[in-house]
Amino acid sequence: MDVDEFGHHISRSFNEDLEKVRNSVLAMGGLVEQQFDRAVESLANADSDLGLKVARDDYKVNRMEVAIDEECSRILATRSPAASDLRLIIAILKTITDLERVGDEAERIGEISAQLASQERPSTNYRELRNLARHVKDMLHGTLDAFARLDAASALEIVKADDIVDDEYETINRQCITFMMEDPRAISRVLDSTWIARSLERIGDHCKNICEYVVFMVHGKDIRYTKLGEVEAAISTSPRS
Amino acid sequence: MPRRWIRQFFILFAWLGLAAAFGLWIDAVAWSMVGGLLLYVGHMLFRLYQLDRAITEGVRVPGLITVGLWPELQAKVYNLRRKSRERKRRHLRLRREVRESTGAIADAGVILNAAHEIVWFNRAAIRLLGLTEAHDVGRRLENLLRNPEFVAYLPSPREEPLIIASPVERDRMLSIQVIPYGLEQSLVIARDVTGQVQLERTRRDFVANASHELRSPLTVIGGYLDALVFEEELSRSWQGPLHEMVRQVQRMTQILRDLIELTRLESAEEPASFDFVSVIDILGRIKSEYASRKPPPDLHFDIRSDSGLLGGETEIHSVFYNLISNAVRFTPPGGRIDVVWSSSTDGAAFSVRDTGIGIAAEQIPRLTERFYRVDPGRSRGTGGTGLGLAIVKHALQRHEAHLEIESVEGEGSTFRCVFPNDRVVRRKDAV
Repeated sequence: MDVDEFGHHISRSFNEDLEKVRNSVLAMGGLVEQQFDRAVESLANADSDLGLKVARDDYKVNRMEVAIDEECSRILATRSPAASDLRLIIAILKTITDLERVGDEAERIGEISAQLASQERPSTNYRELRNLARHVKDMLHGTLDAFARLDAASALEIVKADDIVDDEYETINRQCITFMMEDPRAISRVLDSTWIARSLERIGDHCKNICEYVVFMVHGKDIRYTKLGEVEAAISTSPRS
Repeated sequence: MPRRWIRQFFILFAWLGLAAAFGLWIDAVAWSMVGGLLLYVGHMLFRLYQLDRAITEGVRVPGLITVGLWPELQAKVYNLRRKSRERKRRHLRLRREVRESTGAIADAGVILNAAHEIVWFNRAAIRLLGLTEAHDVGRRLENLLRNPEFVAYLPSPREEPLIIASPVERDRMLSIQVIPYGLEQSLVIARDVTGQVQLERTRRDFVANASHELRSPLTVIGGYLDALVFEEELSRSWQGPLHEMVRQVQRMTQILRDLIELTRLESAEEPASFDFVSVIDILGRIKSEYASRKPPPDLHFDIRSDSGLLGGETEIHSVFYNLISNAVRFTPPGGRIDVVWSSSTDGAAFSVRDTGIGIAAEQIPRLTERFYRVDPGRSRGTGGTGLGLAIVKHALQRHEAHLEIESVEGEGSTFRCVFPNDRVVRRKDAV
């Protein structure tokens, strides 16, 4: 596929519309990434102000979602896009839903981090959570890169990476159960940290979803609920449209 | 007409003459002339073919006839080809050198067109910005560097660079500068400033910690000194030194307070809050404080606007107070100080004009450095911590406002704070 994927329309303003809506998705992605980074930072540095700020700023993400949603509806209504353009619009509509949810999870992490900031902290300073967060951050960044570059190959890599995140989440959960049995006084704090782990794992899932939309956008193949081996075989035989 | 063309015509006529003579001999002049012309045209076509090959393939075919138009044309084509080959080689070498040298630069450089699409980038951009050679030429830079601060910075770059975390590694800090050039093209330069940012942070932390640590022993000393001043058993001769010690402890406390305030302002990354601040109230408080001083300085308040500001109350108070107290300290008795608060449609301004000693032009840019003294000998005696203007500068920065300084040595100075419209509340808005 060429760099100017949408450069084949007679109507120039159609191209511009598509390009604009895609750019705003990535701008929204940038904002979500920032929210996520700040939420994790507030957890690592016990910075309750930053955590509350993340929670307060979630409305910006929501506002962008509504704006992009409206823009997509307008394009659907006025341009009746077909083929790859239609796939793009559908993928964008789904992507922003997932991005908005990532924003919500970041908000929740920010809120809980702000609570945890004023409590006693474990000696590891939540190292396992920060590790998981680093993986998820790479996933989120890679997902948006794949979306920007329409790079189905790296999108598939990220879909695979989600398993690691799921495993890590499992481990953290088991660890938390052990902590709670050892010291019942820490239960409320440990419960909070499982919530954070849960949010991180959910963000990983949302990234995986977005990557699936990227593959759909590029190859026109729906790869949800399909085994990865079959997906790769299907994609390698399909011509890029 | 060049000589080769004349020669070519000469050959043509000679050939036709020969054909005519041959025609006379066999008694068929017309046929012989036609045959001769056909031969000539055939020869011409053959030569054209040779020329074509010489141009497209660079093959040099030596002709039988070495005079006239064709051999010369052929030689010319050959020379042109050779020259262009040499030029190409030179260009390639130059391009390789440019590419190697820009690749060796440690700063990332990206060239963007008017639509912010990537035209070119160097090797450091791969490392620092995470661009990839296979995918990214022609893509919008904002789509790959999605940091909201950068997205806001790129279309309207300020003079000072933007400092953001690298998208590749979060611990790496980048200083980004955008230089527009040519026809709406721009060059984006990203420099790794991780070390500098860390150093700056260490310095700030050190100052903050040191100030905090010094404050408590100083409080203890101050407390005992206050008690000692009222101790009647102490001989009279100690009264003078004791009072001086109290004064110096107060001064040190003030310096520490200013240092802590300054570090707080410096390390705050967010802009100041947007709480309503009544400028009239602040100026009223400062006015009554100075009115009770003996002797009261010649202060004139001229409040031309009832607008308020949006920001932090303590910060704005400290800006106004610092500027007015500076003016009072540097204006000799008999001088006059005018404080003006005014607003227009573009924003609002607070200015303090004095008839004091003034500042030399070359000193003005350095005034806001901490502990900078225009005249070390004189100003320490006038009190003050040397941090006032640094605090003013940072507090204003947090309100997107800036400080303008005009001064004529010996005649006086004007310090003006200019607030942007977003920070100004007009009377009717406030209600």
